[in-house]
Amino acid sequence: MNRSFVDALGGIYPGNRLLTRDVELLPYESDALTAFQTKPGAVVLPENDAEIIATVRLCHEHSVPFVARGSGTSLSGGSLPIADGLTIALNRLNRIKVIDPQQRIAIVEPGVVNLHISQAAQPYGLYYAPDPSSQSICTIGGNIAFNSGGAHCLKYGMTSNHVLGMKVVLADGSLTEFGSESLDGCGIGPDLIGLFVGSEGLFGIALELTLRLLPLPELYRTVLAAFDDLGQAGDAVSQVVASGLLPGAIEIMDRLAIRAAETVGANYPDAEALLIVELEGEAPQVEAEFAQLRELIERSGAFEIRSAQSEDERARIWKGRKSAFSAVGRLSPDYIVQDGVVPRSRLGEALQQIDAMKRRYGLEVANVFHAGDGNLHPLILFDGREDGALHKAEALAGEILAMCVKLGGSITGEHGVGVEKRDYMPAMFSEAELDVMLALRKAIDPREIANRGKMFPGGEAPALTMQGMHPLERQGVISRE
Amino acid sequence: MITSDEQVRAFVGAHDRLHVRGMGSKPALHQVDAPILDMSALRGIVEYQPQEFTLTVRAGTPLREVVAALAEQGQYLPFDPLLPESASIGGTVASNLSGSRRHRFGGVRDFVLGAAIVDGTAQGYTVGGKVVKNAAGFDLTKFLVGSLGNYAILTELTFKVFPDVPRFRSLRFTYATLAEALEASYDINRSRFELDALDILPGADGAVLQARLGGFSETLPARVQRFSDFVTTTTAPQHVEVIKDELSIWDCVGDLDGACLAKVTLAPRQLLALDAAIDGAKRRYTLAGNIGFVACEDASWLGDVLARLGLRGLLLRGQARSPLLGAPLENVLAARVKATLDPLGKLV
Ligand SMILES: Cc1cc2nc3c(=O)[nH]c(=O)nc-3n(C[C@H](O)[C@H](O)[C@H](O)COP(=O)(O)OP(=O)(O)OC[C@H]3O[C@@H](n4cnc5c(N)ncnc54)[C@H](O)[C@@H]3O)c2cc1C
Repeated sequence: MNRSFVDALGGIYPGNRLLTRDVELLPYESDALTAFQTKPGAVVLPENDAEIIATVRLCHEHSVPFVARGSGTSLSGGSLPIADGLTIALNRLNRIKVIDPQQRIAIVEPGVVNLHISQAAQPYGLYYAPDPSSQSICTIGGNIAFNSGGAHCLKYGMTSNHVLGMKVVLADGSLTEFGSESLDGCGIGPDLIGLFVGSEGLFGIALELTLRLLPLPELYRTVLAAFDDLGQAGDAVSQVVASGLLPGAIEIMDRLAIRAAETVGANYPDAEALLIVELEGEAPQVEAEFAQLRELIERSGAFEIRSAQSEDERARIWKGRKSAFSAVGRLSPDYIVQDGVVPRSRLGEALQQIDAMKRRYGLEVANVFHAGDGNLHPLILFDGREDGALHKAEALAGEILAMCVKLGGSITGEHGVGVEKRDYMPAMFSEAELDVMLALRKAIDPREIANRGKMFPGGEAPALTMQGMHPLERQGVISRE
Repeated sequence: MITSDEQVRAFVGAHDRLHVRGMGSKPALHQVDAPILDMSALRGIVEYQPQEFTLTVRAGTPLREVVAALAEQGQYLPFDPLLPESASIGGTVASNLSGSRRHRFGGVRDFVLGAAIVDGTAQGYTVGGKVVKNAAGFDLTKFLVGSLGNYAILTELTFKVFPDVPRFRSLRFTYATLAEALEASYDINRSRFELDALDILPGADGAVLQARLGGFSETLPARVQRFSDFVTTTTAPQHVEVIKDELSIWDCVGDLDGACLAKVTLAPRQLLALDAAIDGAKRRYTLAGNIGFVACEDASWLGDVLARLGLRGLLLRGQARSPLLGAPLENVLAARVKATLDPLGKLV
């Protein structure tokens, strides 16, 4: 890394917040897509806006690429460092500045952990709705960058739907604010929040977010249904949707995912497929909906139905689902998670095709998905110590994505494109559309320094290595449950 | 008559400046001296899949048609488009206008999934997707919500739609002062009651909170009672009334006659200051005091008031140099998008 640049960084950061030694850089070499590892030139640990702004301006001046990093839980290589670039780690900007129960908003710094917002809002009977499974570690800045979702976004939307205002520093160092404290967000004029959220760190760094909080639902009613056949579970979803009910969450797990969940003590029925449906809202309405839902599910061919009668039982139903990813990690040394979307009515078809593909590849695939919105999460199991295994798994993952696009869906529902899926962008977008996105990126970041090499196809390829645990997990800094 | 995307592209190609208009239901948006690109003939439902909760329509389609097609399947646009009798769907998205039912699930931005557009360089392409969830690429579709046709022309739109509920009940709570009504709205808005709408109506003496509950017929009466009890005990209104003919009270701009009509985006905390400053104008606040609709005789007066309070408004009806009222909207990020999508500044 350029000496004068590092010296200039030394003018912003004390030595203990400017990391340049190999051993210090190690934990930042990858995100949760551990197949990709790159050593950054340096890592800085800002503690306030002013430091971030000064850093971005310095990067712009020196044309040094930078990556903003929250907790590094990206599953698409979004926070993978750039070789010889700067990683700006935002975890220390973790202040919740305002919880305003009257206006139902929170104002937070980007390094705040998702779950901490709900915890802070809880005494007021409020919560922050988007709930990625990684919510106990991932940051709101990372959520913003990927427009992260969770099991409950069918009804209340993804991250973007919950952001009302933001303050950002663009990649060329310009500062801007948009949106407001109104629940109407941008309200008048173009929706800049909508544009920034999901831009995967390619426009700049979010410094402050104004978020919408929701009242905690009065009542949850959660049903777990076990089926002998994955197709039947899919049909049950169609029936639920056709009935006019609007559940907060509809999730399906297949046999292998169920087996994985057993390793964390989920205690699920022994089944080919499990369906979880959750209703939430005002108690009398939910009870009435629940009666309708039970009836529907009883007629759907499920051989066992469990309903949670208490918060405890509800937590038990969700435990296996929420820790499915890490549980799969116990079944197999390595795995890749995919995140494609298909129209809901084509879920059955998609699953059949995945089944055929995995046989052809001779690989195991566990399926966990947000069935309500057609968002698949196939987990492709492999052993990175075997020659060529990773490449084979990646090839299968690629076929799955191509299938999703062909069925009219998307290559990513919530994990983002990052490094991993950038080569699939042309499958999903026309040349004209990609050109416009690229032009937009260049208009906002003329030197293309913000998260260079992500999202757009054809960037320099980082080294592919063996999988394994996330470096921070290996060090015991983070865990997934 | 424009009936295809190709014709839109040709129109853009043939003009140095142009202004997009849907059905013209918000005349204040169209006081521009430029050739008009009339979108009202580019209409029709392209694809509607009730099972997928998705709907794709051409931008010039009258809301009336869209709303009717959805109602036939028991579904609706949860952002509750404003002016459903006279506006087009494209104009509604471009001006980001919602009615009172926006309260329950969100605004226009929360329900647009994708679009076909023509930009200022006469290029046509699609943005976003057609599935209810998609995180690939930059979300230009959302950006175009509220963009007033100044960045690109929407020719087709895909929405996420929801099942509607079969029954509604509405209640009115009267308070001695607007401040009391606002306090009460805070309590209600963070309560566990899931309201379809919550409007604040300032009156000559006091103010009214108007709430709507929707759901199954069997449970609605009990829910209404429970809600009413909650409001009565926590906020002590002077008067509570259950409205019989409830549909008619939810046209949130219907009674706001006057030469000018504007939407104002505000935080509830700013409501009392705004209301004091526009005392005398007809007005109503939707979304628990987060959006205001104001009718008055003079748009420049309203613009000055808003600017003084640091608020923004959008003029829908009435004379003004620009429909954008109040605090300036200039933004460096928006300017860069403009330079990308419409480098020659054709779209005015
Ligand atoms: C076990 C597990 C389960 C998961 N479950 C889900 C799930 O259910 N749903 C889901 O959507 N995702 C899920 N994820 C993926 C991941 O947690 C999310 O993408 C999350 O939003 C990343 O947050 P982070 O703080 O770790 O961000 P990082 O990985 O550090 O960064 C992600 C991206 O955000 C950018 N970024 C970070 N901060 C900022 C900022 N302030 N301004 C601009 N850009 C910024 C980075 O440059 C990078 O591109 C899961 C991951 C794991 C490991």
